[in-house]
Amino acid sequence: MTEVTFKQFRSAAAGAIADPRLQSAIDGATLKFRTERHHALTELPDVDAMRDQLKAIRAATLSRLADHLETFERQATATGAKVHWARDAAEANQIAIDIARQHGVELIVKTKSMATEETHLNHALIDAGITPVETDLGEWIIQLAGEPPSHIVGPALHKTRQQVAELFSKEVGRELDPDDIPGLTAEARRLLREKFLAAGLGITGANLAVAETGSIVLVTNEGNGRLVTSAPPVQIALVGIEKIAPTWDDAAVWLQLLARSSTGQPLSIYTTAITGPAKADDPDGPREVHIILMDNGRSNQIGTGYEEVLECIRCGACLNACPVYQEVGGHSYGNPYSGPIGAVLVPLLFGLKEYEALPHASSLCTACLDACPVRINLPRMLLDLRRDEVQGRMLSPVERFIEQAAAYVLGHYRLYRLLTGTARIFQRPLVRGRFLRVPRRVNPAGERDLPSLAKRSFHDLWDEIR
Amino acid sequence: MSARDEILNKLRSRSRQPDTHPPAWRSRRHFDDLAERFAESLGKSKGEVIRAGSLDEAFEQLDQTLLALGARCVVANDEPPLSQIDLAARWPGMQWHIVGRTPGDLRGFCATADAGVSSVVAALAETGSVVVTSGPGKSRLATLLPPVHIALVPESCLTADLYTFTAARQGPPPAMQTLISGPSKTADIEQTMAVGVHGPKRFIVILYRD
Repeated sequence: MTEVTFKQFRSAAAGAIADPRLQSAIDGATLKFRTERHHALTELPDVDAMRDQLKAIRAATLSRLADHLETFERQATATGAKVHWARDAAEANQIAIDIARQHGVELIVKTKSMATEETHLNHALIDAGITPVETDLGEWIIQLAGEPPSHIVGPALHKTRQQVAELFSKEVGRELDPDDIPGLTAEARRLLREKFLAAGLGITGANLAVAETGSIVLVTNEGNGRLVTSAPPVQIALVGIEKIAPTWDDAAVWLQLLARSSTGQPLSIYTTAITGPAKADDPDGPREVHIILMDNGRSNQIGTGYEEVLECIRCGACLNACPVYQEVGGHSYGNPYSGPIGAVLVPLLFGLKEYEALPHASSLCTACLDACPVRINLPRMLLDLRRDEVQGRMLSPVERFIEQAAAYVLGHYRLYRLLTGTARIFQRPLVRGRFLRVPRRVNPAGERDLPSLAKRSFHDLWDEIR
Repeated sequence: MSARDEILNKLRSRSRQPDTHPPAWRSRRHFDDLAERFAESLGKSKGEVIRAGSLDEAFEQLDQTLLALGARCVVANDEPPLSQIDLAARWPGMQWHIVGRTPGDLRGFCATADAGVSSVVAALAETGSVVVTSGPGKSRLATLLPPVHIALVPESCLTADLYTFTAARQGPPPAMQTLISGPSKTADIEQTMAVGVHGPKRFIVILYRD
């Protein structure tokens, strides 16, 4: 299990901020996502009511999640799909490996999937001697680079065309022109087409799963979602247990807001529903479909103040809206889930102690709440996680002491007056304008400027004004 | 205890008082001219729309489109209205693979075909999308592997949006159902749009009055 301590987050963030190329890449991408999302949502005459509807659907679904999962299982099984259950990432990966081995599979094609990023499925497959190939162009780029995704929707948005050309050139064995982006795309098409046709197994995630029909829904622009579910003879879908839409009416609201919120399209180019394996008289399609329903920490949130985090539809709008994400980039979060949703979800799923810095990777400006199509109150949960850190005694003894002392002083008016009065006198040699000149090493505010105490307090002035 | 029972028991023991599930959302969109809106929306996502006044005219448009493409190998799904005509006789110079009728390797043919021709089960005006499905005579790869996908769409199958389409559903869905809203595209390299990354580079709809 990895971790993100305060020290690690700070150093990763500082690195990202000092990288001008990365900064301009993130700025460009998030601005484009935000602008297109805005146009796509304002085009809907009833977008606010639709968001309320999605919120109500997601909340109601989670309140009866076990029932909906059972319906999904029953319906999917009736179509001929095989449903598996996984308590955690290791179980999910093992199920996938076992299916691959049963079929003697050596090559797997994959669609982009946050669930498989979460379980590090590719590592597990490689360790088992099986080769997974990512087929989403962005995901393939970072697979070639050996990096994790830096954005939920645009996994390779931190990569420049020069870096992409270099990676692809190595694959094709000749020099490719970085300025010819259609040419680079054509090379990817040619190389990955061979993989699609040769693979013995296709692995997908699921943007959502529809209980009433046992369907898996995949949204892609490139068409790789269709190819992965059409070309190989066997298909596996790894699905988080929270991704259930009870009915197609519910799924329609979800899909309507997903594409508009993520890439700003009315619908993605391809929205594909897979309902069981190919029928006997279908000319093509997978003869076997496996669905793995994975918990991996999700059920722990049910019935708690954090249940709302499971309403997320992974559109990435909160990342694009977040001023912290825009500065520090996705990799600083030390996990495939980055941005505001990552800052809440990751400590909840994988441990607050291990990811202690993430609830602090926010200015609490609430831009994420405004952007979220499901109106998930991420700022509230960020504060709740900080509270849990204090109550769980996860902070350093020094910080605990300072905070307890501060709480005591603020609760005792005379003491507060006495101490601030004294400090006002002692700060004099350090005051420069509105700030204190303190050597950075001992500055309790870290990299930030420490404001000085005003010459006269508001209390003193108030008496005069009155 | 199995993983299944453990997960379901845990969810049941932790769940709060269930919320009432909201009633289904019904479409609030109205378009005076569905065909017009469809063409406009699909155009925005780089799809191409050819309008035809009748089915005969639609086939003439198909002739011209295939001619303009210089297509030599074409795969066609065996579904109406395509199944109403003898494609091989109409285009004797071309090599045709009619799904389910032409013997031989469908997959191999699709991988090298110049174009795939299909019909659709529905079309959504709001988003400029068509719906294709799997089924007898309906290949998934035929509309996916060739560089061009041509869809014959009767105006009678137009519906307002995803909500009206969903509300009209009947019975269990086919094994595969895809909404197609344009040619395959990506913006994964520096946010620069490139078409035809995995699926068809061109998506041409012949929208005809019926």
